[in-house]
Amino acid sequence: MTAIARARAPRPDPFLDIDSYDPEADLMVMNLGPQHPSTHGVFRVLLYLDGEIIIKAVPYPGYLHRGVEKLCEKLTYAQITPIVDKNDYVAPMLNEQAVNMAFEKMLGVEVPPRALHMRTLLAEIQRVASHLLWLGTFAMDLGGALGGGTSVFMYCFREREAILDLFEKLTGCRFHYNTHTVGGQRHDIPAGWAAEVHRVLGAISDRIDEYEAMLSHPIFLKRTKGVGVIDAQLALELGLTGPLLRASGVDHDLRRDAPYHIYDQIKDLKVAVESDGDCLARYKVRVVELRESIRISRLLVDNVPEGPICGGRPIKQPGQFKAKAGQVYVGIETPRGELGTYLIAGGGKMGDTPYRLKIRPPSLHALAVVPYVFPGHSVSDAVAILGSLDPIMGEVDR
Amino acid sequence: MAVNESERSFQHPLYEVLERFPGLDLATTQVDKLLTWGANNSQWIFPMATSCCGIEFMAAAASLVDLDRMGSITRGTPRQSDVMVVAGTITVKMAPRVKRLWDQMPEPKWCIAMGSCAISGDFYRDIYSVIPGIDVAIPVDVYIPGCPPNPEQLMAGMLRLQEKVNLKRAGLWSPPETRPETPKTIEPAIKRLLHQGRDRRIDAAQIDQALSLELPVVDLPPLPEPAPEKGEDE
Amino acid sequence: MTPAEENAAREQAFRRLLRERFGVEGEADAPLPDDGVVVDRAHHVDLAKALHKAGWQLYVTCAATHFPAVPGKKPTDATTPECFEVATVLRTVGPGSHTARWRVKLAVGESLPTLVPVFVGADWQEREQFDLVGVHFEGHPDLRRLMMPEDWEGHPLRRDYAIDTPHAPWR
Ligand code: SF4
Repeated sequence: MTAIARARAPRPDPFLDIDSYDPEADLMVMNLGPQHPSTHGVFRVLLYLDGEIIIKAVPYPGYLHRGVEKLCEKLTYAQITPIVDKNDYVAPMLNEQAVNMAFEKMLGVEVPPRALHMRTLLAEIQRVASHLLWLGTFAMDLGGALGGGTSVFMYCFREREAILDLFEKLTGCRFHYNTHTVGGQRHDIPAGWAAEVHRVLGAISDRIDEYEAMLSHPIFLKRTKGVGVIDAQLALELGLTGPLLRASGVDHDLRRDAPYHIYDQIKDLKVAVESDGDCLARYKVRVVELRESIRISRLLVDNVPEGPICGGRPIKQPGQFKAKAGQVYVGIETPRGELGTYLIAGGGKMGDTPYRLKIRPPSLHALAVVPYVFPGHSVSDAVAILGSLDPIMGEVDR
Repeated sequence: MAVNESERSFQHPLYEVLERFPGLDLATTQVDKLLTWGANNSQWIFPMATSCCGIEFMAAAASLVDLDRMGSITRGTPRQSDVMVVAGTITVKMAPRVKRLWDQMPEPKWCIAMGSCAISGDFYRDIYSVIPGIDVAIPVDVYIPGCPPNPEQLMAGMLRLQEKVNLKRAGLWSPPETRPETPKTIEPAIKRLLHQGRDRRIDAAQIDQALSLELPVVDLPPLPEPAPEKGEDE
Repeated sequence: MTPAEENAAREQAFRRLLRERFGVEGEADAPLPDDGVVVDRAHHVDLAKALHKAGWQLYVTCAATHFPAVPGKKPTDATTPECFEVATVLRTVGPGSHTARWRVKLAVGESLPTLVPVFVGADWQEREQFDLVGVHFEGHPDLRRLMMPEDWEGHPLRRDYAIDTPHAPWR
């Protein structure tokens, strides 16, 4: 039995006892991370190698644990938005939406239709930016195979800059926007913004064809096809969500299945599903989502309803919201999957701060897949798999 | 604090060769200029990109700003780099690794603290797992404030570093940068608006000020009676 | 069935299951309390297994909370003892996705049976809660710290843990 066959048993054992492994084998222990250009942040995996083949992988997250949940317990509901921006720093808009939706549910604040419409629009534009960043870094992880490796990265960042400029016109910041509040938005759409959105997104959707042509390269296919297969059963049990789950053949998208904002009004929302569960399938799902998000944003930007952008009283004091004791859970679909907020509010004297705020990061579940898919692959494949999972360490460790 | 290694005088094997031949030491000025030019325009960066500022660092290295045109290429290994850019929050778990990577970089080396997290810990400053600024662990040459700083600001920081290197090579004194002072962010000494134990006059003045701006009037809750101060409920 | 009907049917099934098999009080079809049902510790794993079988296949999250002891209002009142609460959230996949959530109350020193045999995704979540809140999960195959360094003392997300605890030599 070769090392590959041994490690690619139906489901590799993450708690494999390395002492009981074949004593004849050429064993080596290798540390990937915490500072490695391809780990998308600070993530460490201890790899046990038999020759070139990984037989066991032990991940160690936590190198960016910033105690966000503890900090949120000290801040009032209106003050938390800028803090959670920094969790998933590739899609900050969706972080803000997740916590603010939980707060609104808890405090019983109504959100006006214009704000809901804007939230949907911003979420979709942010999804485009996030997937573009993923595409660029993933192509870079695959390295020299793609004409120097950094060309796709350079192109993707060029488009992403255009989207950041859009957001800068709206909120004044490149990222970390702080534009959502309890009850609505803080910044209204400036004049001429819609035309600009059309221009930018139109240009991007043309260029995605170019990237696809660039990436349908035999070497790219070879490095992604059949690499890092996650079957549907494992994906469900591990709690994978978003593109990872859909690439494994499970048709599940919270935008369609548990609609929030105004997603229930978008009738023909296309959910991309692939059945292979490998890196190539994850790439395909994300590219389809990229196009779909561009289509939805261009649809939405034209018919934003008139009206106020913030319901209830404008926020004048940090401690203006008082919650009764209670617990809510809200989950939304981010580019990486279901971002959940479990909020426990303490009533009475502790009514103006959350008693406990638990954030359910999709990336943490995505990384939990590492001990199950790494065994049986070589180290270079491990880098490709890690890139295809799209982990953001800020949200994994919080 | 650790000894600042980059304060030491710059040695190069070329000088030793030149000094061995009489007359040739006149060439050292020209060689020195050449070396200064080289040192300035090939500052290879080792990115210590841990979080959000790392994304802005990537944006700076990508097409729009393009640090490459200053000769600042990003290297994945500390052994080939001159500048460490600390971009992001450094936690207690990460700090020993940063220190070790810094120790692995060859002399002469410089360090840039990019973003308020690397400067002072930002609003994570008071949190149990975050170190309050990277200068607790390694010496910093240039501070670039911002959350996150724009790519252009990073470029300006690189130019500041070049100036510093120039001065050092010319044997001149460059004023050391000091860390921007950060107030304690979790519980300001002045307390929050309408906080028990806060001076009522400050509250009244602030509310008056807000009302004088002719913003839409909101009904404010009545000011609380000043109460004896209690400890924060932990 | 439309997605909304599907969701309502799931909700119905969830209520019935809780009331008929797991000793939750109330009429079989009455709505559940807004802040989630409290389930006995002994039923925790059985409930998860039953839900897994009935279609709640996606493990969403678990959140442990620390409630420190609260002294009574008057000196004569009894003190509410220190306790922990662990909430678990599961989800169905496909249109009309429904979330099932329940919580289990634990006294100090009590441990909660692990869900790893049912959902492998519970592995890291439970490790994280063990690390940050200090709830012990019984039967977990690998209960180590996840976020904090191995030699860390204390559990940071407990309410009585000071937010600015120093840690030599770094802070
Ligand atoms: S300074 Fe701001 S942007 Fe930079 S790492 Fe810290 S929180 Fe993120």
